[in-house]
Amino acid sequence: MRRLGLMIAIVAMLTASTAHDVHSQDVSASSEYLIKAGFIYNFANLVQWPASTFPQPDSPIVIAILGQDHFGTTLDRVLEGKKVNGRPFVIKRLKTVSELLKSVAELKDYQILFISSSEMPRLAETIQIVKSIPVLTIGEAPGFAKNGGMINLILEDNRVRFEVNVEAAKEADLNISSRLLALARIVPQGAADGRKAE
Amino acid sequence: MLTTNYPETSSAGYVQRALALAMVTLLFVASSPAQNKIDVTTMSVEDLMNMQVTSVSKRTQKVADAAAAIFVLTQEDIRRSGAASIPEALRLVPGVQVARIDENKWAISSRGFNGRFANKLLVLIDGRSVYTPLFSGVYWNAQDVMLEDVDRIEVIRGPGATLWGANAVNGVINIITKSAKATQSALVAAGGGTEMQGFSTLRYGGRLNKATAFRGYAKYFTVAASNDPLGRAANDNWNSLRGGFRGDWTPDGPDSLTFQGDLYRSRFGETLTVPSLDAPYSSTFPNRGRISGGNVLGRWTHTFGLSSTSLQMYFDNTNISDNSLFTDRQNIFDIDFQHTIHVSDWQQFIWGIGYRSIADRNNSSFVVSLLPDHSRLNEVSGFAQDEISLFDKRLQLTIGSKLEHNDFTGLEVEPNARILWNITPNQSVWTAVSRAVRTPALTERGLQLISAVIPPGGPGNPTPLPVEATVFGSNQFKSEDLLAYEAGYRVQLTSNLSADIATFYNFYTHLRTAEPGAPFLEVNPAPMHLVAPFVAQNKMHGGTYGAELFADWRLVPKWKLAGSYSYLQMNLRKDATSLDPTADNPGPSSPRHQFYVRSSLDVFRRLEHDLIVRYVEQLPGFNIPSYYSVDTHFTYKLPSRIELSVGSRNLLNKQHLEFVPDFINTSPTKVGRTVYGSITWRPE
Repeated sequence: MRRLGLMIAIVAMLTASTAHDVHSQDVSASSEYLIKAGFIYNFANLVQWPASTFPQPDSPIVIAILGQDHFGTTLDRVLEGKKVNGRPFVIKRLKTVSELLKSVAELKDYQILFISSSEMPRLAETIQIVKSIPVLTIGEAPGFAKNGGMINLILEDNRVRFEVNVEAAKEADLNISSRLLALARIVPQGAADGRKAE
Repeated sequence: MLTTNYPETSSAGYVQRALALAMVTLLFVASSPAQNKIDVTTMSVEDLMNMQVTSVSKRTQKVADAAAAIFVLTQEDIRRSGAASIPEALRLVPGVQVARIDENKWAISSRGFNGRFANKLLVLIDGRSVYTPLFSGVYWNAQDVMLEDVDRIEVIRGPGATLWGANAVNGVINIITKSAKATQSALVAAGGGTEMQGFSTLRYGGRLNKATAFRGYAKYFTVAASNDPLGRAANDNWNSLRGGFRGDWTPDGPDSLTFQGDLYRSRFGETLTVPSLDAPYSSTFPNRGRISGGNVLGRWTHTFGLSSTSLQMYFDNTNISDNSLFTDRQNIFDIDFQHTIHVSDWQQFIWGIGYRSIADRNNSSFVVSLLPDHSRLNEVSGFAQDEISLFDKRLQLTIGSKLEHNDFTGLEVEPNARILWNITPNQSVWTAVSRAVRTPALTERGLQLISAVIPPGGPGNPTPLPVEATVFGSNQFKSEDLLAYEAGYRVQLTSNLSADIATFYNFYTHLRTAEPGAPFLEVNPAPMHLVAPFVAQNKMHGGTYGAELFADWRLVPKWKLAGSYSYLQMNLRKDATSLDPTADNPGPSSPRHQFYVRSSLDVFRRLEHDLIVRYVEQLPGFNIPSYYSVDTHFTYKLPSRIELSVGSRNLLNKQHLEFVPDFINTSPTKVGRTVYGSITWRPE
């Protein structure tokens, strides 16, 4: 009887201790997006935007996630309370390209546009919209960088690697630190299939 | 394709205690979850690039939905362990007992009943059963794959009979290789060491067109002889050569085809002791054997919406030639059809039918013979299983049964019922009740095996004639039955810490015994002798229970710890009518306690280190002491797609025996320290 009591107590404690965790984190998201969130934070640190992008010294770095959001709450959790050069983060979510078009006026206030794999069919259109605006485009699908995206996060050997299209970043007046470039796989624009994104 | 099964309910106090103990351990392990959360913003880009996306969540995600004690060994787990063979890889599976008898023989079982001819574990490679109907077990020295091309090894402890049929009694091992699309490059690997003296592997993968991918491989290794218990060089060296191919056709559209095959040949040695009718009534000598075979398999899958059908056919040929004992040639043809119907969002119905034909032809020796010397067996089976989700998929019910007809015992029914409850998104409990049978093997019906000749006037033989103790199969031998109760609990405590507990109570009836019969006089072969027969019958019953705990903890992105503890208690008793002279309870064939702790550390970006400390309790019945083994493995990845590995198994060099042979008296050999190195090149 005593043993049964002990077991019930243990089970109750265990249940309570983990139930608490359910709220604090999105367990369904795989570690993949936790790692990707880490990359995004690092990119914010290692990419230089033109001074004109930020109205105030403490203006936030605005990240927009376009398309199906696989991060869940991971990105919000990771960036909560974090600052880069005194700038906090603000995360927005845009379901579709048309929503992106609607907010085109605000577009210049965005620093990072994360383009979900779900938006790949409309990539050319999306790239066209943000072209020459200093917003860092980050993708996660094969062909993203070579078709005009700036940084592409790819899965390889169960690890996250990244490609950089230096030309695209330069066109948007973004300066990617050499430290980052040293670790990246550099992708020439339109290289693989010989066609320019334009 | 492979998932589902198993359960337990604990009625015994011991099971409760084991469960309570496991939970306390879990609680202890989990006591500081908060600081385990990774803060990725403190990590450099290099760190992040090194972080593995893998397992913790992916594995538990998938496994979390099975109402069964399921464990998945990933490609990464296998590669980083340095395992050079399937048996070595299986040492990392909770609840599975793996023991090496000599360099080319293993005893592998799940939840007890271990032995070289262990007969309650079903093993499949890419859907092809490698369980031999000869003795209802696995010739481990004939089973190999290119380990680099293994996608995963899924192990289900407990019965899986409803889906996999008779003989999936205590467990099912599914070895699943990657699709040809996932092996689109060349791979060259070679290496050697003190045990496996040399090995080389070659694979090439390519595409015929957008929809068709293929690969071919060849693999050779040679293993040195080890030492017998007296420290003398044994004769257990062996080598193996195999090659194969796989093609996958996956066009846009609902259909896909897989076609694959292998050819292999192993030559092995052993020190064999056989009885004889003349003084000194036994002889011991080096013996050689050969096992070879081939298989081809085709699978057609058709999907429509969320429903699908699959038709699989294979042909498998195995030739065994153990020089001084026995030769056997077996051809198996198997066809299976399976239909998964997505009835609604909350209900899925699966049914299937199968047919299997086994043709056997064998040649006997004085010591071993099998009657008839050629035979053909047919098995027909069908199953249906319904999976229902309730309460927003938080509760899942699975009910199903297999019906199977075989030539020995007729119709067998193998039902199961399972419940899984997702208490919260990150913890679930499950329970199941199932029945499984192990149908008789050819040897249990027609074997004649002389296990010893007792000299005239020797111990237990007052007669002036030699007495031949002979094991006979019997056409009265029936199926062994299992009724299994299982329960388990899984929890994802944080995104980097998960744990899994499974407990079981198995009740067996009609287990095999060897019943003594009336001795009789035999004139031929000369000299005249008495035969003391021991006939296979089904006169043992009893319960086994146990618990298996597995936990996986990524402390920091670069360091993962995994650990497992398995507890097993067997209480088997002969029926009152049994006269079998051997003791009750063959339990000692399997350790009561085993555990391991594994550390996987990414030392630098390119350097990985793995350390495995393993403990296996003594086998008192075999006079095998408990042992610890420490294995270590380093991998260095050069930028040029070259990977270098070095490692050592049983680093502490405590030379020890792990097991002893049964039925066939070969010399067991000691496991000592081994070191090895290898180089793998994956040109682009």
